[in-house]
Amino acid sequence: MKRNLNFIEASSLLEANETTSVELTKIYLDNIKEAKELNCFNTITAEQALDDAEKSDLRRQQGKLKSQFDGIPIGVKDLFCTKNIKTTASSKILSNFVPSYESAVTQKCIDAGLISLGKLNCDEFAMGSTNKTSYYGPVTNPWKSNKSDAKLVPGGSSGGSAAAVAADLCIASLGTDTGGSIRQPASFTGTVGLKPTYGRVSRWGIIAFASSLDQAGPITKTVEDAAALFEIIAGHDPKDSTSSIKENESFFDNLNSSVKGMKIGIPKEFKSDDLPASTQKVWDDCKKLLQNNGAELINISLPHTMDALPTYYIIAPAEASSNLARYDGVKYGIREEGENLIEMYEKTRSVGFGDEVKRRILIGTYVLSSGYYDAYYIKAQKIRSLIKNDFNQAFERVDAILTPSTPSTAFEIENEPNDPVQTYLNDIFTVPINLAGIPAISIPFANDENNLPIGLQLITNSFEEQKLLNIAKNVQDTVNYESVPKNWWQK
Amino acid sequence: MFKPYILENMEFDKDSLYKLGKLSKIQIDESKLKSLSSDLGSIIEFINRLKSIDTENVDPTSNSLDQSLVMRDDIASDVNSANEILENAPQKELDFFSVPKVIE
Repeated sequence: MKRNLNFIEASSLLEANETTSVELTKIYLDNIKEAKELNCFNTITAEQALDDAEKSDLRRQQGKLKSQFDGIPIGVKDLFCTKNIKTTASSKILSNFVPSYESAVTQKCIDAGLISLGKLNCDEFAMGSTNKTSYYGPVTNPWKSNKSDAKLVPGGSSGGSAAAVAADLCIASLGTDTGGSIRQPASFTGTVGLKPTYGRVSRWGIIAFASSLDQAGPITKTVEDAAALFEIIAGHDPKDSTSSIKENESFFDNLNSSVKGMKIGIPKEFKSDDLPASTQKVWDDCKKLLQNNGAELINISLPHTMDALPTYYIIAPAEASSNLARYDGVKYGIREEGENLIEMYEKTRSVGFGDEVKRRILIGTYVLSSGYYDAYYIKAQKIRSLIKNDFNQAFERVDAILTPSTPSTAFEIENEPNDPVQTYLNDIFTVPINLAGIPAISIPFANDENNLPIGLQLITNSFEEQKLLNIAKNVQDTVNYESVPKNWWQK
Repeated sequence: MFKPYILENMEFDKDSLYKLGKLSKIQIDESKLKSLSSDLGSIIEFINRLKSIDTENVDPTSNSLDQSLVMRDDIASDVNSANEILENAPQKELDFFSVPKVIE
């Protein structure tokens, strides 16, 4: 069978009886087995997947399909609680946790008949941009530079989700994005990553990192696939108090790639002499492409862009320190015994959390502590209003905004800066979007001089995912980016 | 490397670090004290950039969703049985989580 099937192609093959869900599932389970070296999966649920695939094939025979995508194998970030399947957040502290319930998002995938192949590696508690903070070890990017054999990071925190799609270990995957955790790894792996509007997709049953920023979304091979999977997981959920009551839309059926007459904003604050020449060129090429296809370019200003990253590094750790207080060795997860209750808490958390998670808990506790709360946390929430206001003003003049997704392409696993703030800079272009709560997508556009993918980010106003997907489809259909990594991991 | 900010290396005060560890219920490993205080120092310095921004007449945003709380019907449902929940408990006794003895 053809390599690198997408969602739409796979569903056509199933519909034409040219393959079965069991056959597809077996192919992907074999692909996963051969790609052990990439370390994409924390847990492979082969037996369950084959059982589910068999049921899907039976439904097809009986004409009782759950959706048009029934039977398609996907991967799930190990941050979504899955009933009776180990869910670790790639942390030692949850290394034995087996949820007794299913997250809203994965339940929707089950309801659509999708087949989960297993749980995908990620940064510990989704904190990181390299997938190196995982207790289960780093994920390796399937892409390699044509100038070196060194292993590269897939980005993070949804590094396993992005690498698995790029390496064809699943047809699509689920990720989460708190500051860029879907878009940055999508950019590093030549895949499509959509972060929906805050509130579009239920957070219920997703292990919480920063609750006012966390949002789940798809990582896929094409924009059409992103629309299809997004449509499956979106919609109001009474169990999530910040779930939007807006009606779900037919994003997939309503895809329309015309950009004629659309106004595309180019924010001057994203321009920098530090941007690699290849990234700048790709950004310029995409501007020209949109112009040629009938869109109008408009220079805009988002004055608080450079304030977004420090604002994020107050709000996200503050919420994380509070969310992660629940891991104390009492109700679930591992426990380290101590002489008394407090010592038990301290030992459990010291042994159970990795360095990056500890750093963020300490920073979060600091900015929330007495005497600093107003100076840091409230201040950051006020700047968040300014950032949101920048976007509101921009969207009075433009339909969408175009920027690079990341300031660099994938870098070597061994070559991460010592200073955590330098690592945080990976998310400089993606973080403002989470603070404003608006949707954005990263799509592959071209490869750099080392043959590594460069992604571009499109941004629209809240709940305008349809417009976002339409513009992304226009770019995709015009550039026809078809590069896939060489499958060096297959022996 | 992309370096849009100029950062100086500031060390986080060690006594404050121990206090923060106590508040966070995280033991500060003696061997990592130096690297941790330098990491935290650099993050604090980074977020201190915001101090100069005028936010005098700005309201804070706690989340970006422009929607008031949605009420649901108050209907009892039978989910999360004690047995299921206790399956994940590191230690349990009867139908309870068990913890080291606390005497005050």
